[in-house]
Amino acid sequence: MSKQPLEMTVNGEPTEVLVQPYQTLLEVLREEVGMTGVKEGCGTGDCGCCTVILDGKPVTSCLVLALQAQSRPVRTVEGLGDGDALDPIQEAFIRHGALQCGFCIPGAVVMARALLDATPRPNEDEIRWAMAGNLCRCTGYTKWVEAIQDVVDQTTEGAMK
Amino acid sequence: MYKFDFVAPRSPEDAVAQLRDRGPGGKLLAGGTDLLLQTKARVVKPAYVVDLSHLQDLERLEHHPGEGLWIGAMARARDIQLSPLFQNGFSIVADGAGLIGSIQIRNLATVGGNLCNAAPSADVAPPLIAAGARAEIIGPDGTRSVPMDEFFLGPRRTVLGPTELLLGVWVPEPAARSGGHYLRHTPRKEMDIAVVGVGSTITLDGERCADARIALGAVAPTPVRARGAEEALRGQVVSPDLIEEAARLAAEDARPISDVRGSAEFRRHLVAVLTRRTLTAAWNIAKQGGTGR
Amino acid sequence: MTETLAIGQRLDRADGRDKVTGHATYVADVKLPGMLHAKLLRSPHAHARILSINVERARALAGVRCVLTAKDLDRLEREPSSRARAILAVDRVRYHGQPIAAVAADDVHTAEEAIDLIEVEYDVLPAVVDPLQSLEDGAPLVREQATETDDSEALAHGSVTAGEVKVAGNKPTNVTSRVHYHRGDVEAGFAAADVVVEKTYHIGHVHQGYMEPRATIATWDAQDRLTFYVSAQGQFSIRSELSNVLGIPESKIKIFAMEIGGGFGAKIQPIIEPIAAYLAKRTRRPVKLVLTRGEDLIAATPAPEFIMEVKSGAKKDGTLTAVKARVIMDPGCFPGGPLNNACLLIGCLYRFPNLDVEGIEVLTHKPSQAAYRAPGAHHGTFAIESQMDAMARALGIDRFEFRLKNCIVEGDLMAHGEPWPNNGMKQVLQAMAEHPIWKNRASAPNRGVGFAVGGWLGGIQPASASVRMNPDGSLCVITGAIDLTGTNTAFRQIAAAELGLPAEDITVQTGDTDSAPYAGTSAGSKVIYAVGGAVQAAAADARRQILEIASHELEASPADLEISDGKVRVKGTAERSVSLSHIGSASTRYGGKYEPVFGRGSVAVTQRSPGFSGQLAEVSVDPDTGKVSILQYACVQDVGKAINPTLVEGQMQGGSVQGIGMGLSEELVYSKEGRLLNQSLLDYRKMTAIDLPKIDTVIVEVPSPFGPFGAKGVGEPPIVPGAAAIANAVRDATNRDFPDLPITPDKVVRALRQ
Repeated sequence: MSKQPLEMTVNGEPTEVLVQPYQTLLEVLREEVGMTGVKEGCGTGDCGCCTVILDGKPVTSCLVLALQAQSRPVRTVEGLGDGDALDPIQEAFIRHGALQCGFCIPGAVVMARALLDATPRPNEDEIRWAMAGNLCRCTGYTKWVEAIQDVVDQTTEGAMK
Repeated sequence: MYKFDFVAPRSPEDAVAQLRDRGPGGKLLAGGTDLLLQTKARVVKPAYVVDLSHLQDLERLEHHPGEGLWIGAMARARDIQLSPLFQNGFSIVADGAGLIGSIQIRNLATVGGNLCNAAPSADVAPPLIAAGARAEIIGPDGTRSVPMDEFFLGPRRTVLGPTELLLGVWVPEPAARSGGHYLRHTPRKEMDIAVVGVGSTITLDGERCADARIALGAVAPTPVRARGAEEALRGQVVSPDLIEEAARLAAEDARPISDVRGSAEFRRHLVAVLTRRTLTAAWNIAKQGGTGR
Repeated sequence: MTETLAIGQRLDRADGRDKVTGHATYVADVKLPGMLHAKLLRSPHAHARILSINVERARALAGVRCVLTAKDLDRLEREPSSRARAILAVDRVRYHGQPIAAVAADDVHTAEEAIDLIEVEYDVLPAVVDPLQSLEDGAPLVREQATETDDSEALAHGSVTAGEVKVAGNKPTNVTSRVHYHRGDVEAGFAAADVVVEKTYHIGHVHQGYMEPRATIATWDAQDRLTFYVSAQGQFSIRSELSNVLGIPESKIKIFAMEIGGGFGAKIQPIIEPIAAYLAKRTRRPVKLVLTRGEDLIAATPAPEFIMEVKSGAKKDGTLTAVKARVIMDPGCFPGGPLNNACLLIGCLYRFPNLDVEGIEVLTHKPSQAAYRAPGAHHGTFAIESQMDAMARALGIDRFEFRLKNCIVEGDLMAHGEPWPNNGMKQVLQAMAEHPIWKNRASAPNRGVGFAVGGWLGGIQPASASVRMNPDGSLCVITGAIDLTGTNTAFRQIAAAELGLPAEDITVQTGDTDSAPYAGTSAGSKVIYAVGGAVQAAAADARRQILEIASHELEASPADLEISDGKVRVKGTAERSVSLSHIGSASTRYGGKYEPVFGRGSVAVTQRSPGFSGQLAEVSVDPDTGKVSILQYACVQDVGKAINPTLVEGQMQGGSVQGIGMGLSEELVYSKEGRLLNQSLLDYRKMTAIDLPKIDTVIVEVPSPFGPFGAKGVGEPPIVPGAAAIANAVRDATNRDFPDLPITPDKVVRALRQ
């Protein structure tokens, strides 16, 4: 079968690539668009390492065909933050030591950003439910929760000023 | 990944036409959370997939007060989990949808996909059966309607023909003083496939059970009604003892197998436990006038 | 003083920014020009003869560049002596998933398609999967003859090898190793006991669970030098092993160790690199081989299965009298594994005057094992900590008092005659007894509190490091140690402390095998302990050289100089100083009169510093469904000196969760034909964020006489007691024993019904 054109917006940039119909969004982002920050941890939607924000919603990109992203906006870990400035989530993860080997982290920070965009002040339970689709073998999740709570506290303080 | 072709139809009718015109070997693609697993594992080898993800018409969630609720086949599990439409009389559907996978999976998974993939453990099946829903299907010759508890024929098999498409599900408005709840057992709190799933609805007439529907998932080749348990409830004054008896009978209605996710004996035990818990929850909701959560 | 500030500082990880932005480069992220993608055809059977392989259709597929089977490789042994040497099956398969053929193609989908086109005829043979069955006469044989045990990985982890009895002999057997420790008279010990507890404990195979599936890239250059990009815990060790397996001198192999997405002991043996090298040689192109998660679960190197029959006795005053155990370890289809560690820890954590511990290693038709973070220790500790709880209950003695009365102290002899080094077991137990989870425990239906303590003897390895000054005066630490756990950050702090500079002013590099000083694997809890010591020595050497140069510039004696604020100055004065950037320039520029500052340090610590970790859990059990919820959890650990408390806490929490997983949800389940039944992360269940509470951490510091600034190895101890802590907590909640892990809901329901 032949390749088909795919037009989407990736991290705000209009992007046009030719893809095989059977390629997943994960594969196309990594191989054709250069977003190697998006990782494959399982390929079956069970680990969250490949999480991207598609049309405003966090999804496991290993289970999305690239062509399903036709005309849609996609945001990857590379699209977090603003120029050289890190997203507060990214800064908090560093500050709290919420990362070790780092392989699961791109998916985790994208998911955390999606969580806070939808729910600005989640409690611990809500944070844990939201992050339950992102597996991590190194940290045991405690510092993730503390990092996210820190951003929530900062945002609350900022809003109160 | 198995190599297949990709078709993006412009409408449900167009999707049906593609299936008819391109011939056998086509698969409808909804959320992808089942189909793409199967094509990666090469247990399903389609020549082409027909992608439904841009058909906004299939995503509609519409409540017609007094009549019922329309759930488009492409409605995402996450949207159902969050929608106010499912907070009251239709909460049992959100119970099921909210348990599928993780948030990332629920943003992809659809009601239609969950039903048409027809895994015995499908989480929206027992709720929809217990709610008395109907499947609305479109094919080359027009539309037809099938009650949810006749929709499944076996593991991964439904009444859908090779050129038919599920448009959505119609859930009738529950009677006053009704309640429903779905629970499942999984080893972890999320992410797992149901070892057992039970959806129960109850309608009260005074203190008596006017109607009860109990649907069991993952304990038979298809989701099944626990008719023995339902019989024991109908017409009787509802009480914890009666619920206990119904739970016991529901366990007998189950025909579970043993597999890596659970033994048959454990599954039977869980059917009783979850039937008791869902009937109790449904009863409490019904007693409060059916206002859900 | 900066040197005090650096040690104990919660310095941000140097690689943090790379990792949170997705810039950190792992093997699968690397693209080389002309690179091909490889896939392996794997056996669906655990034990079979290969009658024929037909690759013609695969070779003919457009986009396929190479298809290899065993007959295309030189140097293949019919009966390979190790897993790394079993590159492709020759005429017999011995585990489900064993590679039979390899394809290199233009893209990964074409490679998969080619795999589908390869036809193999198998004669399926009966497989032995259960280690107890494998011990029986007439069990299907895994190997055609027993050979020497492969100890290399056990050595990398610093586990002990004394006490081993090699197996030889004429009778066909799947037993490949035995150990036996005894002292005193156990029968007399049991006769003198007031309580005797006897149980059989079982832990099945678990996967190390690293989030990055195994991956490698192999490429040859025009001079026949072979380069690998690896995800591995030791670049020098993997190079040595590849040299051995491929028959190529080490000097002709170069290893680029990329960021590693978790290893936990599994990524030391090169199980996919050799075939990638052959494909690359044949095609004359770089070849990338990335395993799917399914392949990694089915056919990587899980932790071994253990069955431990343990009997122990104690007197009513709480004195232990005897322990007897038969420990059966199943390492899969190749010999070698941590049998010794498990046996030692059963008998040596507490003072048993009489002991008799027998260990047997027996093969089965399952993938061969690799280390899993404190290999063997979680197994042995699970058994003995469950026994200790059971004996304490039977005697009516407080569970902490019982342990404190009997725990080993420095000088107590282990089963193989070596004395316990200085250690913090007692201090950890004492700190645990003060934790609110224990102190505030209240009796409630279906709730329980349990705990366990465990340790790791600690690894030792020669290491070297260098500290180099750049022309601008900045300083860089260079080691050959893979940064598995954040050790690079700790090296910055150690170097900073030694040099009297802020840690932020020091960078760290891990060189490749051509350029880096030697270091052993990042395993065995010895990176800070050994390499850190070398870094300290290298930094001290650099400091000496800096002061030497400064003393010339300032015409003062080095003894009168100090480093502070980026300058070297005469103590007590502000004006007589020279900046480090001046020293850097003066020692590197054209015509400069000083040698470049290049500090070197080598150490060969031969004394171990064991680390102990104790964990407490409060659980609640749903008696109807059998589900266990963890309400509270704490990890108490003696780290000697916490160079970076944030890093240390992270190790404690991560290790704890691995132990909890082993206790509650993780196991690789094989059919009786030896096929893996749970082949995805859906059914191989690791804990998620919602399954766990916050893991509280308590750092205890009993300084090591040998580690830098008193530090001990931190990586392994925290995985050791978790499973036992959970089992003890569930026992407390239900009054039932759970000697068979994991404690899944169905086991709880079944136990409650009895």
